[in-house]
Amino acid sequence: MEELIEKLKKEVIEQLNLEDIKPEDINPDSPLFGEGLGLDSIDALELIVLLEKNYGIKIEDPKDGKKIFFSIRSMAEYITANKK
Amino acid sequence: MIFINGLGAVSPQPNAGSGQFPFEFTKYDGNQLRCPDPGYKEFIPGDQIRRMGRVIKMGVTAAKLCLRDAAHVTGFTSGPECPEIIPEAIITGTGMGCMEDTEKFLATMIRNNEEFLTPTSFIQSTHNTVAGQIALLLKCHGYNFTYVHRGFSFENALLDAMVQLRSGSVSNVLAGGSDELTPAYFSITSRLGHWKRKPVGNDRLLEDHQRGSVAGEGATFFFLQKEGTHNSYARLRDVRTLLKPGSDEKTGRYLLQMLQENEIAPADIDLVVAGFNGDPGSDAIYRNVIAASLPGSAIALYKHLCGEYQTSTAFATWFSAMMIRHRIFPEFALLTPPPVNLRNILIYNHYLHVNHTFILLSAP
Repeated sequence: MEELIEKLKKEVIEQLNLEDIKPEDINPDSPLFGEGLGLDSIDALELIVLLEKNYGIKIEDPKDGKKIFFSIRSMAEYITANKK
Repeated sequence: MIFINGLGAVSPQPNAGSGQFPFEFTKYDGNQLRCPDPGYKEFIPGDQIRRMGRVIKMGVTAAKLCLRDAAHVTGFTSGPECPEIIPEAIITGTGMGCMEDTEKFLATMIRNNEEFLTPTSFIQSTHNTVAGQIALLLKCHGYNFTYVHRGFSFENALLDAMVQLRSGSVSNVLAGGSDELTPAYFSITSRLGHWKRKPVGNDRLLEDHQRGSVAGEGATFFFLQKEGTHNSYARLRDVRTLLKPGSDEKTGRYLLQMLQENEIAPADIDLVVAGFNGDPGSDAIYRNVIAASLPGSAIALYKHLCGEYQTSTAFATWFSAMMIRHRIFPEFALLTPPPVNLRNILIYNHYLHVNHTFILLSAP
C-alpha cells in the first residue's frame, strides 16, 4: 500500500502539473479538494482519466468520486480493491 | 482620436520588457527566436499558472505589464490592492492560437487511440484562451473577442478596438496580439520553406540571401483610449488591411490612398517600420512599395528582433510607439539615416505575400 501511495503521489503531481510540490509535501490522508492540495473540478476529471489510463479502472457511478478521491490513501485503497 | 496609453510586451528581446529604451539588443544565432521566461510567477498566481501553456503565460504577462503601465500613464488605478487598470474590453488577435496545448491534445488522441483524453489541454487549446484567461484573472466581465485571421489577426483586433471606442460602447480597450513558436509548428513550416535552412545571426538578417526567414513569437498588448495624457505614447490614426493585392503598384496606390484619406502627405511619413524578414522575395516587395510611394521616408526594420509570425505587427506597434515616446531611433533597427522629425510612423507588413497591413501612428 505504501509503495502504491508513493507512486500515486508522483503520478498526481505529474498529471496535474503541480509545480513546486514534491511527493513528500503531500500528506496521504489530507483532503485533495478544497483544503489540502486545493484541487478543483477540472483536476477531478484529470484524476478520473489517470485511474482509467494507468490502472484500467473506470468509475461507473460519479457519486463514488467524492469518496474515492478524498485523499491519496483513499485512491490507493480503491485501486487495490478494484485493479483488474 | 485614439491614444496608446499603456503597453506591454513579452518578446525574444528580454531587455525590451524593462521599460528602458533603447533596450540592449539580444543576438541570436539560428533560425528561431523564442521568448525567454520574464518571470511569469510574478504576474500569475501559482494555482493558475500550472494549467497554462506558454502563449497563455506570455499573453497574460504582457497584458498585465500593459495595464500596470496604463495605471502609471493615466494616473488611475483600480485600488491599492490592484496595480493594474481593469479594462472595459479585451480584444486579441492570434494567427495560430494556443499551439502547445493543441499539439498536446492531438498527440494524446493519437497515442491513446482516441481514449483517455484529459480536459486541461483541450480547454486551453482554444484560440480565445488568452483573452479568456486575462478576463478571469482580472475579473473583467466586459466585451471579450479574439480574431484569428492569419496575418490580419492583430490588425482586426485593433480595428474592432477602434470601432468600440468610436461608437462609445467603452471608454478603454485592452487590445493585443500573441503567437507562440512550438517545435512541431517549426518543423512543419520548415518543410513548407518558411525558414532559412542554415543558421543566420539576427543582426545580419538582411545580408543573408537564403530563402526564408527566422521564426519568432511574442505577445504584445496596448491600452487604448479616446483621450490622451501628457504621458501618452502615440496616437493610433488608422489601420488598413489588403488581401492579395496582386502587384506592388496596387499596394503602393492603396497606401497612398490611405494617407490621403488621413490628410497626410507622403513626405510627412518620417519613418516606415517595415516587415523585412530576410527572405529576398519578401523583402523586394517592401523595397518596391517604399521606393515608389514613400521615397523620402527613413526606414526601420523589426523582425530581426522578434522573428516572423502572424501577429508580429503587434511588436512593430510597440517598437514604434516606444520610438515616438522616447524620440530615439535605435541604431540596430535603422536601414537608413534617422529621420529629422518624428510626427508620423507607418508600419507596413505583409505575411507571406498574402496579408498586407498598414498601421499609422502619430505623435500624441
